[in-house]
Formats: sequence, structure tokens, C-alpha cells
Amino acid sequence: MNLFKIISELEKVDPEVMDRLTHRRSALSALGDISKKMALAAAPIAIGSAFNKAMGQNNLTSVNDVLNYALLLERLEYAFYDQALKATTLTAPLTGVARTAIETIRAHELAHVTLLTSALGSAAAPAPANFNFGTAFATYQSFLTFAQAFEDLGVRAYKGQATTIKTAGNPNNVLQTALQIHSVEARHAAHIRYMRRGATAGNQTTIMPWIVNAEANGAPAPVYGAGNPAATFPAENNIMQGGLTLTTGIGATYDPADVSAAFDEGLDNTTVTNIARSTVTF
Amino acid sequence: MSNITQKGSDEAEFAKPLYTPIKRRSFFMYAGATAGATALLLSGCDDDDENVTTPTGTVSLGSGDVGVLNYAYALEQLEAAFYAQVIATPYTGISADERMALTAIAKHEAIHRDFFKTAITAAAANQIIPGLNPDFSRVNFSSRDSVLTTARTFEDLGVAAYNGAGSLIKNNDYLLIAGKIVSVEARHAAYIRDLITPGSFSGNDVVNAQGLDQALSVTQVLTAAQPFIKERINGDNVGK
Repeated sequence: MNLFKIISELEKVDPEVMDRLTHRRSALSALGDISKKMALAAAPIAIGSAFNKAMGQNNLTSVNDVLNYALLLERLEYAFYDQALKATTLTAPLTGVARTAIETIRAHELAHVTLLTSALGSAAAPAPANFNFGTAFATYQSFLTFAQAFEDLGVRAYKGQATTIKTAGNPNNVLQTALQIHSVEARHAAHIRYMRRGATAGNQTTIMPWIVNAEANGAPAPVYGAGNPAATFPAENNIMQGGLTLTTGIGATYDPADVSAAFDEGLDNTTVTNIARSTVTF
Repeated sequence: MSNITQKGSDEAEFAKPLYTPIKRRSFFMYAGATAGATALLLSGCDDDDENVTTPTGTVSLGSGDVGVLNYAYALEQLEAAFYAQVIATPYTGISADERMALTAIAKHEAIHRDFFKTAITAAAANQIIPGLNPDFSRVNFSSRDSVLTTARTFEDLGVAAYNGAGSLIKNNDYLLIAGKIVSVEARHAAYIRDLITPGSFSGNDVVNAQGLDQALSVTQVLTAAQPFIKERINGDNVGK
């Protein structure tokens, strides 16, 4: 891993990155540690093959497949926030704390791209030439609606691959790193939902930071629907966990809305990719 | 449960990350101070499946996957008890919006707790840990700042705990369930953080320069959580 190359690349899109790094006493040692964790021993596979698998094949089997799939999603998310921050239509509404928050999220997505690219090395799939988000940036509300869809989808996507990584042998503790990215995506998702709830984004008070039932709230409904197979990837209004019906089966009576909100559900990669393809051209 | 209040400089210290050496010291202080009371409490427990080799007053989480489940159950018990108290005695100036969201979080944590209790009982009835007694004497439940900073501590700690324990889990079903819960805890953490400081949902005190959330070991998490639990928790064999 070429640390200085990464930092200089970061600076191109995030001029404040050196501030961020120097404020963190452990940043440099952490970089070294992560590179060890993520240095995969697996033999490089053909780039085209990895890319095709990441695009649509169900049942990703190798850790590299999973990481390329994650890399594609992170590239999509980074491009989304980068284009949003540069969109003239959002210059007026996206200001102050809101803009800073989106910059924070963009920095995380770029860090994820960097981390995954580094981990994959020569097995990293090439980046799509362009992500076209259509009319996503036309209004502040449409931007936030898309952002919520991408973040909630990202959380479901990572969750859907946890057992695949484990079954594939979890080399160099990739599972833990994936979990550490996964919970950051959940933080992003919660904040975007918080922004949509807030008055500046239309005061949509039915939206909570967590997913209540299979709500869409303007986002593409399949984001919250069942995957394939539905038994493994139920919709977000699922009230059964571990064979137990949680509304009545755990010693107290709970509302289905609360039960569904207490658990996020995973989603298979084919469904995730199809949802992304339905809203983004890449 | 009474609303025990404590004001002053202790709150400032309390707001620091719990895995600092300062908290390690207070952990030992609390462990010693509560040993006597804990012994009394446990001797009164019915249905006591305590391992005879552990010292009196210690609750062992056990080993292997059951240990991980008990670990999660212990943390969810703590969170559920905390939010139940927050809802029972809301802090001064709580808004309707905050009350609604915190009530929802209280439900989520109670559901997590009850789910683990039922699931562990079904899987390993003789290995489930007992109900724990929380110690919230350091929390001023009438103070928004005290409640929210405590909530932030618990939520960030919960996320780091699940992230750190994921790789210890052997059973795929358990791993998936842990994954389903950890992102909800991360959503809680982000919300609480935004209530304290708008935009701090994934601040660089919890998300590092690589864009990674924290992942803490069982020992690190229990050291941080111990001051809030009267029983002494032993997690030495979790996942082993």
C-alpha cells in the first residue's frame, strides 16, 4: 500500500483530509494495521470475470467477489455524493451543517473505495466510466430520497454477504472489516433519514432514523422488499427472527412496527444490483 | 427503580470514551465496591445455573457461541434497562419528538433483550445468564446531557461490541442475527449523536480515517460496561 499516493488522491477530492489525518493520533498506525488485515492471500482472478460476477450473479462465493461487489456499491455511493456536492441545483439548499454532513459521508465512501481497492489489489474490478443518476439532484428532496435509498440498500447489501465471507474462510478477518464498514453505512442511513425528517427537507415526520416496516417513503419500494430467496432475505417488515415470532413469542406483546424496526434485514446481491440498475445508469 | 442523581464534574468525566485508562481504573474500583452486594444478590437467585468454579458474585458468560449470545444478552439487558428508566423518568425539557424516538429505541432494546432470552433458553437453557442488575448511579436521569451522553456511550459501545464479536461466531444463523441487530444499534447511535451535536452521527471519534467503525474485544467492552452492572461479568471464554 502506497500511503502517500492514497493521501494525495484523497486530497484531490477532499482538501481537508490532512487535517482529518493529523487530528487522529492513531491514523497512520491504523492504516498499516488495516493493510495487513486486508492483504488478501487469494490468487488474483480475471478482472472481467470478477466484474461480471459482481454485476449480477447470485451466490457470490469468493471473498474477492464479495469485495468487488462492495467496491462497486461504494463507488456508486461516492459518485452520488460527489456529484451532489457539485450540483448547481443543490448549491442553495445544501448548506451549513447539512453540506458538512454530506461531505463527511462522501469522505467515508471514498475511504471505503480506497480500502477495498487496496485490499483487492490486481483483482480489483475497473471502475465504471460514469454513474448517471438521472434527475436525482433536481431538488433537495429528491437528492435525500435517493441518498436514503442508497444507504439503506448499502446496509442490506453488506448484511447479505456476512455469512458468505464467513463461509469462504474469512481470510485476514475480512468479516470484521466488512462489519466495520456496514455499521458506518447504517450511521449514514440514519442521518439521511434524520435529514429527511427535519424541516429543511420537507418535515417528513413519518420517517424515523430506522426502518419501520417495509416503508418506502418515496425511495424505490424494492429497497425494503424481500430478496431471493425470500426465506433467507425477508422484507423489512419481517417479524420473525430465529424461528420466533417476536410480536407475541418472546414473553411480551410487541407492536409489529417496533419489531420490524428492531432488526434490519439483509439482501442478496442480485436484487441489490437490480435495484441500483433501476435508478442509476452505469 | 429510584432516580438517583449525580451532578458535577463526574458527568464530564463520564462523557469520555469508556475504554480509556481512566475507566479501567474505575472498573476495578466498582468491581471491588460491589462485590459484597453482588454476592447477596446472587445467593438469592432462583434457577441458579452458575458455574461452581467461578468466584461468588461473578456471572460467567460461558464459552463458544452461547458465550457470544450471552454477551449480547448482557449488553441488551443493560440498554433496555437504561431506556426503560429514561422513558419512566424523562429528562427535563424533553421534546415530543425526542420522547417518541426514545420510546421507540426503548422498545427495540427490550425486543432485543427478550429475543435473546427466549432464543438462548431454547438453545441452551442451562447456560443462559440470569437477569442482571444495572447500576445507573452515575446517570442523572433528569439531565438531557447526562442521559444522551450515556445513551451515546451505550450505543457506540454496542456497535463496537457486535463488530468485534462477529468473527467469534461460528453459527451462520447467529452471525446473521447479530448483523441484523448491529445496524439498528448504529442507527440509534447516529440519532443520539445528532441530538447531542447535529452532524456528529459518524464523528471521527468513532469512525476512523479508513471509514471504519470501531470494533472492540470482549474484554474492552466488558471493562467499559462493568461500571453499569452490579454483577461482575466474566467473558474470558466468549467465542472460545
